[in-house]
Amino acid sequence: MEGDNKTSLEQELLFAVVKEKYGSLLSDEQLDEVRHSVLGLSGFTQALRSVPLTNDVEPFSTFRPYRGG
Amino acid sequence: MSGELLFRSIRELADMIQGGQVSPVEVTESFLSRLDELGGSYNSVVTLTGERALETAREVESEIAAGAGGGLLRGIPWGAKDLLATSGGIPTSWGAEPFRDQTFDRDATVVTRLEAAGAPLAAKVAMIELAGGMGYSQPNASLTGPPRNPWNRDRWTGGSSSGSGATVAAGLVPFAIGSETWGSILSPSNNCGLSGLRPTYGRVSRAGAMALCWTLDKLGPLCLTADDCGIVLDAIAGPDPADPTTYPHEFNYDSTLDSATQGRKFRLGVPKDITEGAQDDVKANFEAALDAMSDVVDVEEVSLPDLPYVPIVRTILMVEAASAFEDFIGEGGPQKLTAPEDHYGPYARTAILATDYVRALRLRGVMAKQVDEVMSSYDAFAAPTSLTTATPLGEHFRRNTSGPGDIVGAIGNGCGLPSQSVPSGFDSDGMPTGIQFMGRAYDENICIALGRAYQERTGWHRQHPADLLGTE
Repeated sequence: MEGDNKTSLEQELLFAVVKEKYGSLLSDEQLDEVRHSVLGLSGFTQALRSVPLTNDVEPFSTFRPYRGG
Repeated sequence: MSGELLFRSIRELADMIQGGQVSPVEVTESFLSRLDELGGSYNSVVTLTGERALETAREVESEIAAGAGGGLLRGIPWGAKDLLATSGGIPTSWGAEPFRDQTFDRDATVVTRLEAAGAPLAAKVAMIELAGGMGYSQPNASLTGPPRNPWNRDRWTGGSSSGSGATVAAGLVPFAIGSETWGSILSPSNNCGLSGLRPTYGRVSRAGAMALCWTLDKLGPLCLTADDCGIVLDAIAGPDPADPTTYPHEFNYDSTLDSATQGRKFRLGVPKDITEGAQDDVKANFEAALDAMSDVVDVEEVSLPDLPYVPIVRTILMVEAASAFEDFIGEGGPQKLTAPEDHYGPYARTAILATDYVRALRLRGVMAKQVDEVMSSYDAFAAPTSLTTATPLGEHFRRNTSGPGDIVGAIGNGCGLPSQSVPSGFDSDGMPTGIQFMGRAYDENICIALGRAYQERTGWHRQHPADLLGTE
Protein backbone atom coordinates (compact mmCIF):
# COMPACT_ATOMS: atom_id res chain seq x y z
CA MET A 1 0.00 0.00 0.00
CA GLU A 2 2.80 2.37 0.95
CA GLY A 3 4.57 1.41 -2.30
CA ASP A 4 1.44 2.22 -4.29
CA ASN A 5 1.17 5.62 -2.62
CA LYS A 6 4.84 6.33 -3.34
CA THR A 7 4.38 5.37 -6.99
CA SER A 8 1.31 7.51 -7.30
CA LEU A 9 3.10 10.48 -5.75
CA GLU A 10 6.10 9.97 -8.04
CA GLN A 11 3.89 9.88 -11.14
CA GLU A 12 1.96 12.98 -10.02
CA LEU A 13 5.25 14.82 -9.49
CA LEU A 14 6.47 13.71 -12.90
CA PHE A 15 3.22 14.91 -14.45
CA ALA A 16 3.75 18.26 -12.72
CA VAL A 17 7.12 18.54 -14.49
CA VAL A 18 5.52 17.77 -17.86
CA LYS A 19 2.77 20.28 -17.17
CA GLU A 20 5.27 22.95 -16.20
CA LYS A 21 7.35 22.32 -19.30
CA TYR A 22 4.67 21.80 -21.94
CA GLY A 23 1.36 22.83 -20.35
CA SER A 24 1.09 25.97 -22.45
CA LEU A 25 1.04 23.84 -25.62
CA LEU A 26 -1.85 21.64 -24.53
CA SER A 27 -5.54 22.09 -23.83
CA ASP A 28 -7.06 21.05 -20.51
CA GLU A 29 -8.50 17.91 -22.14
CA GLN A 30 -5.14 17.02 -23.63
CA LEU A 31 -3.43 17.59 -20.28
CA ASP A 32 -5.90 15.17 -18.72
CA GLU A 33 -4.89 12.57 -21.31
CA VAL A 34 -1.20 13.25 -20.62
CA ARG A 35 -1.77 12.86 -16.87
CA HIS A 36 -3.58 9.58 -17.50
CA SER A 37 -0.64 8.38 -19.63
CA VAL A 38 1.98 9.45 -17.07
CA LEU A 39 0.11 7.57 -14.34
CA GLY A 40 -0.05 4.58 -16.71
CA LEU A 41 3.71 4.56 -17.09
CA SER A 42 4.10 3.43 -13.50
CA GLY A 43 3.28 -0.13 -14.55
CA PHE A 44 6.27 -0.15 -16.90
CA THR A 45 8.67 1.47 -14.47
CA GLN A 46 7.65 -0.84 -11.64
CA ALA A 47 8.17 -3.85 -13.92
CA LEU A 48 11.65 -2.61 -14.84
CA ARG A 49 12.62 -1.81 -11.27
CA SER A 50 11.42 -5.18 -9.98
CA VAL A 51 14.19 -7.07 -11.80
CA PRO A 52 17.36 -7.18 -9.70
CA LEU A 53 20.51 -6.11 -11.55
CA THR A 54 24.02 -6.48 -10.22
CA ASN A 55 26.63 -3.75 -10.61
CA ASP A 56 28.35 -5.48 -13.51
CA VAL A 57 25.29 -5.48 -15.81
CA GLU A 58 26.01 -2.72 -18.32
CA PRO A 59 23.68 -1.00 -20.77
CA PHE A 60 23.46 -3.09 -23.94
CA SER A 61 25.09 -0.49 -26.13
CA THR A 62 28.69 0.10 -27.03
CA PHE A 63 30.57 3.34 -26.51
CA ARG A 64 33.65 3.75 -28.68
CA PRO A 65 35.99 6.72 -28.28
CA TYR A 66 36.22 8.67 -31.50
CA ARG A 67 39.42 9.79 -33.15
CA GLY A 68 39.10 11.50 -36.50
CA GLY A 69 41.65 11.15 -39.33
CA MET B 1 -1.32 -3.14 -67.56
CA SER B 2 -0.87 -6.44 -69.28
CA GLY B 3 -2.49 -9.17 -67.21
CA GLU B 4 0.73 -11.11 -67.59
CA LEU B 5 2.51 -8.65 -65.28
CA LEU B 6 -0.08 -8.32 -62.52
CA PHE B 7 0.78 -10.06 -59.24
CA ARG B 8 3.91 -11.64 -60.67
CA SER B 9 6.76 -12.21 -58.24
CA ILE B 10 10.07 -10.43 -58.75
CA ARG B 11 11.63 -13.70 -59.87
CA GLU B 12 8.87 -14.24 -62.46
CA LEU B 13 9.10 -10.68 -63.76
CA ALA B 14 12.89 -10.95 -63.95
CA ASP B 15 12.54 -14.11 -66.03
CA MET B 16 10.16 -12.30 -68.37
CA ILE B 17 12.51 -9.33 -68.72
CA GLN B 18 15.61 -11.42 -69.21
CA GLY B 19 13.76 -13.67 -71.64
CA GLY B 20 12.82 -10.65 -73.73
CA GLN B 21 9.06 -11.12 -73.24
CA VAL B 22 8.75 -7.62 -71.85
CA SER B 23 11.13 -4.68 -71.53
CA PRO B 24 12.05 -2.76 -68.35
CA VAL B 25 10.43 0.37 -69.76
CA GLU B 26 7.20 -1.51 -70.52
CA VAL B 27 7.12 -2.99 -67.03
CA THR B 28 7.79 0.38 -65.43
CA GLU B 29 5.20 2.20 -67.51
CA SER B 30 2.62 -0.46 -66.65
CA PHE B 31 3.12 -0.12 -62.92
CA LEU B 32 3.30 3.69 -63.07
CA SER B 33 -0.03 3.71 -64.84
CA ARG B 34 -1.52 1.42 -62.22
CA LEU B 35 -0.12 3.52 -59.37
CA ASP B 36 -1.60 6.63 -60.93
CA GLU B 37 -4.98 5.03 -61.52
CA LEU B 38 -5.46 3.10 -58.28
CA GLY B 39 -3.06 4.56 -55.70
CA GLY B 40 -5.65 7.07 -54.51
CA SER B 41 -8.23 4.35 -53.87
CA TYR B 42 -6.11 3.09 -51.00
CA ASN B 43 -4.58 6.41 -49.84
CA SER B 44 -1.34 4.63 -50.51
CA VAL B 45 0.77 6.98 -52.62
CA VAL B 46 2.34 10.28 -51.58
CA THR B 47 4.40 11.12 -54.68
CA LEU B 48 4.72 9.41 -58.03
CA THR B 49 8.31 9.42 -59.23
CA GLY B 50 7.62 8.46 -62.84
CA GLU B 51 10.30 10.51 -64.54
CA ARG B 52 12.99 9.14 -62.27
CA ALA B 53 11.68 5.59 -62.65
CA LEU B 54 11.67 5.76 -66.43
CA GLU B 55 15.21 7.14 -66.45
CA THR B 56 16.41 4.08 -64.52
CA ALA B 57 14.32 1.76 -66.70
CA ARG B 58 15.79 3.21 -69.90
CA GLU B 59 19.35 2.84 -68.57
CA VAL B 60 18.66 -0.79 -67.65
CA GLU B 61 17.10 -1.42 -71.03
CA SER B 62 20.20 -0.09 -72.78
CA GLU B 63 22.45 -2.23 -70.59
CA ILE B 64 20.44 -5.35 -71.35
CA ALA B 65 20.47 -4.54 -75.06
CA ALA B 66 24.25 -4.20 -74.87
CA GLY B 67 24.45 -7.65 -73.30
CA ALA B 68 25.52 -6.47 -69.86
CA GLY B 69 24.94 -8.89 -66.99
CA GLY B 70 23.02 -7.92 -63.89
CA GLY B 71 20.81 -9.04 -61.07
CA LEU B 72 17.15 -9.96 -60.79
CA LEU B 73 15.97 -6.47 -59.84
CA ARG B 74 16.80 -4.90 -63.20
CA GLY B 75 13.65 -3.19 -64.42
CA ILE B 76 11.51 -4.14 -61.38
CA PRO B 77 9.73 -0.98 -60.11
CA TRP B 78 9.29 -0.44 -56.42
CA GLY B 79 7.83 1.88 -53.78
CA ALA B 80 9.74 3.60 -50.99
CA LYS B 81 8.14 4.33 -47.64
CA ASP B 82 8.09 8.10 -47.50
CA LEU B 83 10.68 8.26 -44.76
CA LEU B 84 13.53 7.38 -47.14
CA ALA B 85 15.27 10.52 -48.33
CA THR B 86 15.23 11.21 -52.05
CA SER B 87 17.14 13.91 -53.89
CA GLY B 88 16.07 15.86 -56.95
CA GLY B 89 13.29 17.81 -55.28
CA ILE B 90 11.14 14.75 -54.57
CA PRO B 91 9.48 15.43 -51.19
CA THR B 92 10.03 13.15 -48.20
CA SER B 93 7.05 13.84 -45.97
CA TRP B 94 7.54 11.31 -43.20
CA GLY B 95 3.76 10.86 -43.59
CA ALA B 96 3.17 14.03 -41.60
CA GLU B 97 1.48 17.29 -42.58
CA PRO B 98 4.15 19.52 -40.99
CA PHE B 99 6.78 17.86 -43.21
CA ARG B 100 4.68 17.64 -46.39
CA ASP B 101 7.10 19.69 -48.51
CA GLN B 102 10.37 18.56 -46.89
CA THR B 103 13.17 17.80 -49.35
CA PHE B 104 16.70 16.44 -49.05
CA ASP B 105 19.74 16.83 -51.26
CA ARG B 106 20.77 13.18 -50.98
CA ASP B 107 19.29 9.72 -51.37
CA ALA B 108 18.96 7.20 -48.58
CA THR B 109 21.49 4.37 -48.93
CA VAL B 110 18.66 1.90 -49.61
CA VAL B 111 17.43 4.04 -52.51
CA THR B 112 20.94 4.27 -53.94
CA ARG B 113 21.47 0.52 -53.67
CA LEU B 114 18.18 -0.44 -55.29
CA GLU B 115 18.71 1.98 -58.16
CA ALA B 116 22.24 0.66 -58.58
CA ALA B 117 20.67 -2.80 -58.89
CA GLY B 118 18.51 -1.43 -61.71
CA ALA B 119 15.21 -1.16 -59.82
CA PRO B 120 13.25 1.95 -60.83
CA LEU B 121 11.82 3.99 -57.94
CA ALA B 122 8.18 4.38 -58.97
CA ALA B 123 6.64 6.09 -55.93
CA LYS B 124 7.10 7.41 -52.45
CA VAL B 125 4.38 5.52 -50.63
CA ALA B 126 2.18 6.45 -47.71
CA MET B 127 2.94 5.83 -44.06
CA ILE B 128 1.58 6.60 -40.63
CA GLU B 129 2.80 10.03 -39.56
CA LEU B 130 6.31 9.91 -38.09
CA ALA B 131 6.19 6.12 -38.32
CA GLY B 132 3.61 5.97 -35.56
CA GLY B 133 6.11 7.31 -33.07
CA MET B 134 3.74 9.81 -31.47
CA GLY B 135 1.50 7.06 -30.12
CA TYR B 136 -1.34 6.82 -32.67
CA SER B 137 -4.06 4.31 -31.85
CA GLN B 138 -6.33 4.38 -34.93
CA PRO B 139 -5.65 4.39 -38.68
CA ASN B 140 -6.54 7.99 -39.55
CA ALA B 141 -3.03 9.14 -38.75
CA SER B 142 -1.43 10.11 -42.02
CA LEU B 143 -1.34 13.15 -44.27
CA THR B 144 -2.67 10.98 -47.09
CA GLY B 145 -5.72 9.82 -45.14
CA PRO B 146 -6.52 6.50 -43.51
CA PRO B 147 -4.68 3.70 -45.33
CA ARG B 148 -7.22 1.39 -46.99
CA ASN B 149 -6.65 -2.35 -47.24
CA PRO B 150 -6.92 -3.86 -50.76
CA TRP B 151 -8.75 -6.87 -49.28
CA ASN B 152 -11.46 -4.60 -47.88
CA ARG B 153 -11.22 -0.84 -48.20
CA ASP B 154 -13.07 -0.34 -44.92
CA ARG B 155 -10.29 -2.14 -43.05
CA TRP B 156 -6.87 -0.72 -42.48
CA THR B 157 -3.56 -1.92 -43.77
CA GLY B 158 -1.63 -2.06 -40.56
CA GLY B 159 1.19 0.35 -39.97
CA SER B 160 3.28 2.21 -40.01
CA SER B 161 4.43 0.98 -43.45
CA SER B 162 0.83 1.25 -44.62
CA GLY B 163 1.46 2.34 -48.22
CA SER B 164 4.18 -0.28 -48.60
CA GLY B 165 1.57 -2.90 -47.70
CA ALA B 166 -1.31 -1.49 -49.76
CA THR B 167 0.66 -0.85 -52.95
CA VAL B 168 2.11 -4.36 -53.10
CA ALA B 169 -1.17 -6.06 -52.10
CA ALA B 170 -3.05 -4.08 -54.76
CA GLY B 171 -0.50 -4.99 -57.43
CA LEU B 172 0.63 -1.37 -57.87
CA VAL B 173 4.31 -2.28 -57.45
CA PRO B 174 6.01 -5.69 -57.24
CA PHE B 175 7.70 -4.76 -53.95
CA ALA B 176 8.15 -1.93 -51.50
CA ILE B 177 10.51 -0.97 -48.71
CA GLY B 178 9.12 -0.42 -45.24
CA SER B 179 10.62 0.27 -41.86
CA GLU B 180 10.03 -1.34 -38.50
CA THR B 181 10.68 0.01 -35.04
CA TRP B 182 8.12 -2.35 -33.55
CA GLY B 183 5.68 -4.08 -35.89
CA SER B 184 5.74 -1.68 -38.82
CA ILE B 185 6.82 -4.22 -41.46
CA LEU B 186 5.14 -7.29 -40.01
CA SER B 187 1.79 -5.63 -39.24
CA PRO B 188 1.06 -4.49 -42.83
CA SER B 189 2.42 -7.80 -44.13
CA ASN B 190 -0.09 -9.58 -41.91
CA ASN B 191 -3.04 -7.32 -42.64
CA CYS B 192 -2.46 -7.15 -46.41
CA GLY B 193 -1.61 -10.83 -46.97
CA LEU B 194 2.01 -10.20 -47.95
CA SER B 195 5.44 -11.65 -47.34
CA GLY B 196 7.45 -9.21 -45.27
CA LEU B 197 10.96 -9.44 -43.90
CA ARG B 198 12.23 -7.58 -40.85
CA PRO B 199 16.01 -7.92 -41.08
CA THR B 200 18.38 -8.10 -38.14
CA TYR B 201 19.09 -4.66 -36.67
CA GLY B 202 22.11 -3.26 -38.51
CA ARG B 203 21.78 -5.57 -41.51
CA VAL B 204 20.44 -2.73 -43.68
CA SER B 205 21.79 0.81 -43.52
CA ARG B 206 19.45 3.38 -41.98
CA ALA B 207 21.37 6.28 -43.54
CA GLY B 208 18.90 8.72 -45.03
CA ALA B 209 15.91 7.18 -43.27
CA MET B 210 13.90 9.18 -40.72
CA ALA B 211 15.11 8.27 -37.25
CA LEU B 212 12.41 7.30 -34.80
CA CYS B 213 14.45 5.15 -32.40
CA TRP B 214 18.14 4.80 -33.17
CA THR B 215 18.52 1.41 -31.52
CA LEU B 216 15.29 -0.11 -32.85
CA ASP B 217 14.78 1.12 -36.44
CA LYS B 218 15.18 -1.44 -39.28
CA LEU B 219 14.44 -1.26 -43.02
CA GLY B 220 13.13 -4.24 -44.98
CA PRO B 221 11.05 -5.41 -47.93
CA LEU B 222 7.35 -6.22 -48.38
CA CYS B 223 6.83 -8.57 -51.34
CA LEU B 224 4.56 -11.24 -52.75
CA THR B 225 6.85 -14.11 -51.74
CA ALA B 226 9.51 -14.92 -49.16
CA ASP B 227 11.89 -15.65 -52.04
CA ASP B 228 11.38 -12.09 -53.28
CA CYS B 229 12.25 -10.79 -49.81
CA GLY B 230 15.58 -12.61 -50.08
CA ILE B 231 16.25 -11.10 -53.51
CA VAL B 232 15.58 -7.56 -52.24
CA LEU B 233 17.54 -8.04 -49.01
CA ASP B 234 20.53 -9.22 -51.03
CA ALA B 235 20.51 -5.85 -52.83
CA ILE B 236 20.02 -3.55 -49.85
CA ALA B 237 22.00 -5.26 -47.06
CA GLY B 238 25.61 -4.74 -46.15
CA PRO B 239 27.96 -2.39 -44.32
CA ASP B 240 27.69 1.34 -44.90
CA PRO B 241 30.13 3.94 -43.54
CA ALA B 242 27.21 6.39 -43.38
CA ASP B 243 25.54 4.19 -40.73
CA PRO B 244 28.04 3.05 -38.11
CA THR B 245 25.54 0.56 -36.68
CA THR B 246 25.59 -1.58 -39.83
CA TYR B 247 26.88 -5.12 -39.47
CA PRO B 248 30.35 -5.31 -41.04
CA HIS B 249 29.72 -8.47 -43.09
CA GLU B 250 27.94 -8.77 -46.44
CA PHE B 251 24.67 -10.71 -46.77
CA ASN B 252 24.32 -13.26 -49.55
CA TYR B 253 20.86 -14.63 -50.17
CA ASP B 254 20.83 -18.45 -50.28
CA SER B 255 17.77 -19.44 -52.30
CA THR B 256 18.71 -23.12 -52.14
CA LEU B 257 18.62 -23.57 -48.36
CA ASP B 258 16.00 -26.11 -47.31
CA SER B 259 15.69 -29.16 -45.09
CA ALA B 260 17.17 -31.35 -47.84
CA THR B 261 20.30 -29.24 -48.36
CA GLN B 262 20.94 -29.06 -44.63
CA GLY B 263 20.22 -32.77 -44.23
CA ARG B 264 17.65 -32.48 -41.47
CA LYS B 265 14.33 -30.94 -40.56
CA PHE B 266 14.20 -27.39 -39.31
CA ARG B 267 13.72 -27.12 -35.54
CA LEU B 268 10.95 -24.68 -34.66
CA GLY B 269 10.25 -23.39 -31.17
CA VAL B 270 6.77 -22.09 -30.41
CA PRO B 271 6.64 -19.88 -27.31
CA LYS B 272 4.24 -21.25 -24.72
CA ASP B 273 0.75 -19.64 -24.74
CA ILE B 274 1.70 -17.51 -27.74
CA THR B 275 -1.82 -17.67 -29.17
CA GLU B 276 -3.39 -16.49 -25.90
CA GLY B 277 -5.80 -13.68 -26.77
CA ALA B 278 -5.67 -14.44 -30.50
CA GLN B 279 -8.76 -14.49 -32.73
CA ASP B 280 -10.02 -18.04 -33.21
CA ASP B 281 -9.24 -17.96 -36.96
CA VAL B 282 -5.71 -16.69 -36.33
CA LYS B 283 -5.09 -19.53 -33.88
CA ALA B 284 -6.58 -22.16 -36.21
CA ASN B 285 -4.60 -20.93 -39.21
CA PHE B 286 -1.39 -20.89 -37.20
CA GLU B 287 -1.87 -24.50 -36.11
CA ALA B 288 -2.76 -25.51 -39.67
CA ALA B 289 0.37 -23.77 -40.97
CA LEU B 290 2.60 -25.78 -38.66
CA ASP B 291 0.82 -28.96 -39.75
CA ALA B 292 1.36 -28.08 -43.40
CA MET B 293 5.12 -27.99 -42.80
CA SER B 294 5.35 -31.16 -40.74
CA ASP B 295 7.49 -32.93 -43.36
CA VAL B 296 10.23 -30.30 -42.98
CA VAL B 297 9.92 -29.00 -39.41
CA ASP B 298 9.96 -30.41 -35.92
CA VAL B 299 7.98 -28.27 -33.51
CA GLU B 300 8.51 -27.90 -29.77
CA GLU B 301 6.84 -25.68 -27.22
CA VAL B 302 9.28 -23.29 -25.58
CA SER B 303 9.18 -21.58 -22.20
CA LEU B 304 10.63 -18.09 -22.34
CA PRO B 305 12.67 -16.54 -19.54
CA ASP B 306 10.53 -14.51 -17.15
CA LEU B 307 11.39 -10.91 -18.05
CA PRO B 308 9.33 -7.73 -18.56
CA TYR B 309 9.82 -7.77 -22.35
CA VAL B 310 7.14 -5.24 -23.26
CA PRO B 311 8.11 -2.66 -20.60
CA ILE B 312 11.80 -2.94 -21.57
CA VAL B 313 11.23 -2.27 -25.25
CA ARG B 314 8.38 0.22 -24.85
CA THR B 315 10.54 2.28 -22.49
CA ILE B 316 13.42 2.37 -24.96
CA LEU B 317 11.03 3.21 -27.81
CA MET B 318 9.22 5.98 -25.95
CA VAL B 319 12.37 7.71 -24.71
CA GLU B 320 14.27 7.52 -28.01
CA ALA B 321 11.23 8.75 -29.97
CA ALA B 322 10.73 11.62 -27.52
CA SER B 323 14.39 12.56 -27.94
CA ALA B 324 14.47 12.17 -31.73
CA PHE B 325 11.58 14.66 -31.98
CA GLU B 326 12.39 16.74 -28.90
CA ASP B 327 12.47 20.07 -30.75
CA PHE B 328 9.32 19.27 -32.71
CA ILE B 329 7.53 18.30 -29.50
CA GLY B 330 8.81 21.37 -27.63
CA GLU B 331 7.56 23.70 -30.35
CA GLY B 332 4.04 22.23 -30.26
CA GLY B 333 4.51 20.52 -33.63
CA PRO B 334 2.37 17.50 -32.70
CA GLN B 335 -0.73 19.74 -32.71
CA LYS B 336 -0.40 19.91 -36.50
CA LEU B 337 -0.48 16.13 -36.95
CA THR B 338 -3.55 14.31 -38.27
CA ALA B 339 -4.45 11.91 -35.44
CA PRO B 340 -5.96 13.69 -32.40
CA GLU B 341 -4.12 11.31 -30.05
CA ASP B 342 -0.80 12.29 -31.66
CA HIS B 343 -1.40 15.91 -30.59
CA TYR B 344 -0.63 15.04 -26.97
CA GLY B 345 0.78 11.47 -27.22
CA PRO B 346 4.50 12.22 -26.96
CA TYR B 347 4.39 14.49 -23.91
CA ALA B 348 3.93 11.82 -21.24
CA ARG B 349 7.08 10.10 -22.46
CA THR B 350 9.18 13.03 -21.39
CA ALA B 351 8.33 12.01 -17.83
CA ILE B 352 10.34 8.78 -17.98
CA LEU B 353 13.36 9.07 -15.71
CA ALA B 354 16.84 8.66 -17.18
CA THR B 355 17.62 5.92 -14.68
CA ASP B 356 14.60 3.93 -15.89
CA TYR B 357 15.73 4.29 -19.52
CA VAL B 358 19.25 3.10 -18.65
CA ARG B 359 17.77 0.25 -16.62
CA ALA B 360 15.79 -0.76 -19.72
CA LEU B 361 19.06 -0.74 -21.72
CA ARG B 362 20.72 -2.91 -19.08
CA LEU B 363 17.77 -5.31 -19.07
CA ARG B 364 17.91 -5.39 -22.86
CA GLY B 365 21.30 -7.11 -22.61
CA VAL B 366 19.94 -9.62 -20.10
CA MET B 367 17.02 -10.26 -22.44
CA ALA B 368 19.20 -10.62 -25.55
CA LYS B 369 21.50 -13.15 -23.92
CA GLN B 370 18.80 -15.22 -22.21
CA VAL B 371 16.61 -15.33 -25.31
CA ASP B 372 19.53 -16.27 -27.55
CA GLU B 373 20.44 -19.10 -25.20
CA VAL B 374 16.92 -20.51 -25.56
CA MET B 375 16.91 -19.92 -29.33
CA SER B 376 20.24 -21.68 -29.78
CA SER B 377 18.39 -25.02 -29.57
CA TYR B 378 16.20 -24.06 -32.54
CA ASP B 379 16.50 -22.75 -36.07
CA ALA B 380 13.74 -20.24 -35.41
CA PHE B 381 10.67 -19.43 -33.36
CA ALA B 382 7.25 -19.55 -35.02
CA ALA B 383 4.28 -17.43 -33.98
CA PRO B 384 1.23 -15.75 -35.47
CA THR B 385 2.41 -12.51 -37.06
CA SER B 386 -0.45 -10.72 -35.37
CA LEU B 387 -3.10 -11.93 -32.93
CA THR B 388 -5.81 -10.18 -34.96
CA THR B 389 -6.63 -9.55 -38.59
CA ALA B 390 -7.07 -6.04 -39.99
CA THR B 391 -9.49 -3.99 -37.91
CA PRO B 392 -12.09 -1.53 -39.28
CA LEU B 393 -10.82 1.93 -40.20
CA GLY B 394 -12.80 3.61 -37.43
CA GLU B 395 -11.68 1.30 -34.66
CA HIS B 396 -8.94 1.80 -32.08
CA PHE B 397 -6.66 -1.15 -32.77
CA ARG B 398 -4.83 -1.07 -29.46
CA ARG B 399 -8.06 -2.14 -27.73
CA ASN B 400 -8.45 -5.30 -29.74
CA THR B 401 -6.18 -7.75 -27.99
CA SER B 402 -6.18 -9.32 -24.59
CA GLY B 403 -3.42 -11.40 -23.05
CA PRO B 404 0.16 -10.48 -22.25
CA GLY B 405 0.80 -8.24 -25.26
CA ASP B 406 3.07 -8.63 -28.25
CA ILE B 407 5.80 -10.66 -26.55
CA VAL B 408 7.34 -11.94 -29.79
CA GLY B 409 7.34 -8.42 -31.21
CA ALA B 410 8.98 -7.08 -28.06
CA ILE B 411 11.66 -9.79 -28.14
CA GLY B 412 12.25 -9.54 -31.87
CA ASN B 413 12.59 -5.79 -31.93
CA GLY B 414 14.25 -5.43 -28.55
CA CYS B 415 16.88 -8.03 -29.44
CA GLY B 416 17.08 -6.87 -33.08
CA LEU B 417 16.19 -10.29 -34.51
CA PRO B 418 15.10 -11.07 -38.08
CA SER B 419 11.62 -12.34 -38.87
CA GLN B 420 9.95 -13.49 -42.07
CA SER B 421 6.16 -13.19 -42.17
CA VAL B 422 4.08 -15.00 -44.78
CA PRO B 423 0.30 -15.19 -45.29
CA SER B 424 -1.30 -18.22 -43.63
CA GLY B 425 -4.97 -18.03 -44.67
CA PHE B 426 -8.01 -15.88 -44.00
CA ASP B 427 -10.48 -15.20 -41.23
CA SER B 428 -14.23 -15.61 -41.63
CA ASP B 429 -14.46 -12.04 -43.01
CA GLY B 430 -11.94 -12.81 -45.73
CA MET B 431 -9.09 -10.88 -44.13
CA PRO B 432 -5.57 -12.37 -44.24
CA THR B 433 -3.70 -13.93 -41.33
CA GLY B 434 0.05 -14.47 -41.10
CA ILE B 435 2.71 -16.70 -39.58
CA GLN B 436 6.18 -15.44 -38.74
CA PHE B 437 9.50 -17.26 -38.47
CA MET B 438 11.85 -15.35 -36.19
CA GLY B 439 15.48 -16.35 -36.20
CA ARG B 440 18.62 -15.68 -34.21
CA ALA B 441 20.58 -12.56 -35.12
CA TYR B 442 21.85 -12.60 -38.73
CA ASP B 443 19.90 -15.78 -39.58
CA GLU B 444 17.79 -14.16 -42.31
CA ASN B 445 18.54 -17.03 -44.70
CA ILE B 446 16.92 -19.49 -42.29
CA CYS B 447 13.85 -17.28 -41.75
CA ILE B 448 13.41 -16.84 -45.50
CA ALA B 449 13.97 -20.56 -46.13
CA LEU B 450 11.16 -21.36 -43.69
CA GLY B 451 8.86 -18.88 -45.43
CA ARG B 452 9.79 -20.38 -48.79
CA ALA B 453 9.20 -23.92 -47.51
CA TYR B 454 5.74 -22.90 -46.29
CA GLN B 455 4.90 -21.23 -49.60
CA GLU B 456 6.04 -24.31 -51.53
CA ARG B 457 3.38 -26.24 -49.60
CA THR B 458 0.52 -23.72 -49.62
CA GLY B 459 -1.06 -21.26 -52.01
CA TRP B 460 -2.12 -18.36 -49.76
CA HIS B 461 0.54 -16.06 -51.24
CA ARG B 462 -0.95 -16.62 -54.70
CA GLN B 463 -4.37 -15.34 -53.65
CA HIS B 464 -5.17 -11.71 -54.35
CA PRO B 465 -8.20 -9.44 -53.85
CA ALA B 466 -10.85 -10.66 -56.29
CA ASP B 467 -11.87 -7.19 -57.45
CA LEU B 468 -8.29 -6.47 -58.49
CA LEU B 469 -7.69 -9.55 -60.57
CA GLY B 470 -9.63 -8.01 -63.47
CA THR B 471 -8.00 -4.57 -63.26
CA GLU B 472 -5.32 -4.50 -65.87
